[in-house]
Amino acid sequence: MSNKNVSQETLLRVEHLCQYFKAGAFTTKAVDDVSFDIKKGEVFGLVGESGCGKTTTGRSIIKLYNITSGDVYFKGVRICAGTQKLKEELKAAKDDKTKAEIRAKIKAANNDQKNCDKEYSKKLVAECKAKYEPLLEKAVGAEKTALEKEYKDALRKARNTRLVTQIQMIFQDPIASLDPRMTVREIISEGLVIQGERDKKVIDEKVYEMLELVGLVKEHASRYPHEFSGGQRQRIGVARSIIMNPDLIIADEPVSALDVSVQAQVINLLNDLRDRFGLTILFIAHDLSVVKYFSDRIGVMYYGKMVELADSDELFAYPLHPYTRSLLSAIPLPDPVYEKARKRIVYNPLAEHDYSVDKPSFREVRPGHFVQCNEAEYQAIMKGLKQDA
Amino acid sequence: MENKLSVRNLRISFRTSNGKVQAVRGINFDLAKGETLAIVGESGSGKSVTSKAILGILAGNAIIESGEIIYDGKDLLKISEEDFHKIRGDKIAMIFQDPMSSLNPIVRIGRQLTEAMLLKGKARQRECRNNFNTYLKHLNAAMIEAEGQGEAARLTESCKKFNKFEFKHIELEKAYRNAHVAAVETGDDIAKIAFEMEKNAVGKDAADRIADIARQSRESLNDYVVPMANKQKVYALTKALKREFRRASRTKNYKPVLEVLYQLRDIITPAIGKPVPNFFRMGYYVTFSGQPLPNKPVEELNDFLLEYLNREFMNQFIDDAEKALEHSAAQSYANIRAAIADLKAAKPVYARESLDKKECYATQKALAAKVKAAIDPLSIVKDSVSWTFSPTLKSDLDKYFAAIRSNKKAIARYNREKRRYDRIIARGKQAGWELAAANVTDLNLIKENIAQLIDRLTEHYEGMLAAADSRNYRDETVGVIDYLMHNASGVVEKVTRSIAKHRAIKLMDEVGIAEPHKRYRQYPFEFSGGMRQRIVIAIALAANPDILICDEPTTALDVTIQSQILELINKLKVERQLSVIFITHDLGVVANMADRVAVMYAGKIVEYGTSMDIFYESAHPYTWALLSSMPDLDTDEKLEAIPGTPPNMIYPPKGDAFAPRNRYAMKIDFERQPPMFKISDTHYAATWLLHPDAPKIDPPKAVVDRIARMKARRASGNEQ
Repeated sequence: MSNKNVSQETLLRVEHLCQYFKAGAFTTKAVDDVSFDIKKGEVFGLVGESGCGKTTTGRSIIKLYNITSGDVYFKGVRICAGTQKLKEELKAAKDDKTKAEIRAKIKAANNDQKNCDKEYSKKLVAECKAKYEPLLEKAVGAEKTALEKEYKDALRKARNTRLVTQIQMIFQDPIASLDPRMTVREIISEGLVIQGERDKKVIDEKVYEMLELVGLVKEHASRYPHEFSGGQRQRIGVARSIIMNPDLIIADEPVSALDVSVQAQVINLLNDLRDRFGLTILFIAHDLSVVKYFSDRIGVMYYGKMVELADSDELFAYPLHPYTRSLLSAIPLPDPVYEKARKRIVYNPLAEHDYSVDKPSFREVRPGHFVQCNEAEYQAIMKGLKQDA
Repeated sequence: MENKLSVRNLRISFRTSNGKVQAVRGINFDLAKGETLAIVGESGSGKSVTSKAILGILAGNAIIESGEIIYDGKDLLKISEEDFHKIRGDKIAMIFQDPMSSLNPIVRIGRQLTEAMLLKGKARQRECRNNFNTYLKHLNAAMIEAEGQGEAARLTESCKKFNKFEFKHIELEKAYRNAHVAAVETGDDIAKIAFEMEKNAVGKDAADRIADIARQSRESLNDYVVPMANKQKVYALTKALKREFRRASRTKNYKPVLEVLYQLRDIITPAIGKPVPNFFRMGYYVTFSGQPLPNKPVEELNDFLLEYLNREFMNQFIDDAEKALEHSAAQSYANIRAAIADLKAAKPVYARESLDKKECYATQKALAAKVKAAIDPLSIVKDSVSWTFSPTLKSDLDKYFAAIRSNKKAIARYNREKRRYDRIIARGKQAGWELAAANVTDLNLIKENIAQLIDRLTEHYEGMLAAADSRNYRDETVGVIDYLMHNASGVVEKVTRSIAKHRAIKLMDEVGIAEPHKRYRQYPFEFSGGMRQRIVIAIALAANPDILICDEPTTALDVTIQSQILELINKLKVERQLSVIFITHDLGVVANMADRVAVMYAGKIVEYGTSMDIFYESAHPYTWALLSSMPDLDTDEKLEAIPGTPPNMIYPPKGDAFAPRNRYAMKIDFERQPPMFKISDTHYAATWLLHPDAPKIDPPKAVVDRIARMKARRASGNEQ
């Protein structure tokens, strides 16, 4: 499914994202130096086997973890910044001038990591003040009290608004991700309430609108999650995330836990929503047929590294990295003749690559098509591509 | 093809507080040897319930309303729990969906793999001893009865003799077999490790393997494998081997180790192809002749022993046993004739409008005695139809009379609730709760089941009588001796911890786990998802089952691991001639695995055929919907989701259960359930669209397109 309303504006930019987990003496490099960007209005698919760090990437972007190093820019504002690489540089640095520079960088990164939301809400508060204060001065009598109330509301909302809430997440397991002791209304409206909305009427109206949007009805609002089927629960999860008017949705395997027939319902729903609101979606999944169907661009991850990134048609037509090829060869298709003859390609990184001398890096081999490779492999790929052309 | 398992008219419901949920509503299928049957459907369609019924692990609130599951001539729904222990896990094994929750997190993998082997080993020993003793007792009694009291002393003596030398035989044979296996494996292991040492790429678990080689080469010492004369030499070599290996692991120079290994190999490998003496005959000679074995080549020795055995004992024993068998069979046939008459007389008692409790139970008791008398104690094959008859009849009667009472209560309760509900509605209010259906048991169904039970036993008896003339008692006597031998070997064969460990490690190797020696000692959390699933498969395969039930084994795994697991199951299926029941909702996986496919919806099989039938010529709208609702790599247009949800099975719909979600539903779909229409010899579908009077409807565009694409791909594949 190609999308017409992909613009050239970059919504999310991830640069050298690293996420390490420490467990005693071991450090697990869950995500290691991953960079990509997502354009406004596109669906970016992230695939890979379990444990390759695709979910961690999604969770790091939404600040569920504090990232180890790298930067994440959302709408041009740095929302996540890690400092470990910088600290290492600082240790290695010799002269005072560079040291001071690096120190300044670390300070800035820490500040952004901590205060990006505060600064954003400060900006909103300032805007709000600028809008209402001149009006208030002019107004008199009953009009003034009404306006004052409105001003107070707006100010509170501005104070509570965060930049990160414009990124929302849909979780994999629709059973575990909904609080069993909250009604559907409470679940869906929770974000609004936290943001400072106090008017019950507005909340109800918005909740009903969202329920209708995802294919449920008003009456469902007062029920509890356990009264719904799997597909309906996932719809509630979707409603909860779009009520905040997000610009970016991180969908972490939203259909893996669902039945085939219901999977199609949820995919169709996400597709409709994206056409309607021009949503940008980071779609994390391991079912490649679904990813192919749904995404504009696809990134393939392997053990914390991004090994290939390309347009979805391009990736499936010309997979260049051996891991991508092995992944594509493992997709089961509903065709007995093809299936019985299908040969799986085995990927063994030790046998495929020789990185002992020349370390690999992420290189562009065709416009928009990136592969993780070293110089020798790069030459080989370019030669192969020329022959094809 | 040989049928392994057949399911007939199976109906299962679950008792819940809201009413009775009808999970499975009359399904039929067969499973042939070495075949894979895939059961496809949404969750709640009854596919897992069916598989659990086959394994006898249904939840406590399940009611089996009717039907039979025939495995190996037995009806699995009727046999006792004790008999099921011998089948479950041993003959029919299951791989569960979630490997993490089906493994114990705080027990090491090795323990979990060997646990069942050790327990089964002990149980088997006990059981075999029991079988052997009782059978010999029955045989002795029948012999005496057949030939008169005058011969009693001689006959008892010969049975005792048989008992004694049989155990000697098994001991001798076991010692030989262990030594032989050890020798073969030593040869293999030496070849493997020597190869690695020559390449100077020795694995981490080499120390364990060297220890194994040393142990095994000592174990292979036996008169008929590696002659005892080599004992000194082998012991010296194994010591040297360990010493040299320790040295070599420091210096990384494996030359001296290799030299020792080659010497060891030269002693052991020639032992493998030697001719084998007959230990059965030897057992008799060693026990009773009182003389040492004559020193002859093996072939001559065998002939000599055979002649000795037949002259001294066997000819007489076989004659006696044959007479005993014939006598016992004749008695059993007389009893069977009497039982058939009684069964026929009893049938009307259970067919009355309302059953009389006293009469029913009295008849049941009389029948039970008759049926018990008709069982031939000397028949080797357990006659499970007769054995299960009276308990089943009794439980059915219990069910019937209990149901009369509970039905009354349920209806009274329903009426009470209904009056309350109506009052609330009449006041124009919402009740806030739903009226649950009365939980009524169908009495006629129970009566039908009883009639079927009696018919089945009568048929079974008539079949036995018809086959009576063609029995060959001489052959059967040989069978009896084999049976006794088999049980005796079961008694002697002890599964020790080290044997179990050895077997477990081999199994882990077979399912593709690298470095099994190291992995054996790890905990489940140290394994990745795919590896864990392999462990579960290894556990399922440990008992060498006939039938493997896989309940969504790959749903929780990603594509690469999924395809590894599927390859593994397919490989094992071919190697071991397994029959597989594969439950899944992923049609891609089905295409990969299945020979035949059953599509289930709302507790019924709606389409049944070979995988080619289902994927290329599917006929049921539900199958179309499943096919068109999943994207493949060429899908571009909007997916056709199936609208709505599956029906509530407390109130199953009157007509076709799929009708409300079906775009092609006709009026009749809402009124009457469609029968299974036959499309070809292998392909059946339950939809009114196949009725001759139905309008001709083409499958949806997505399905037609996909089939066209598949055919095109096949054509282009053929050209290449």
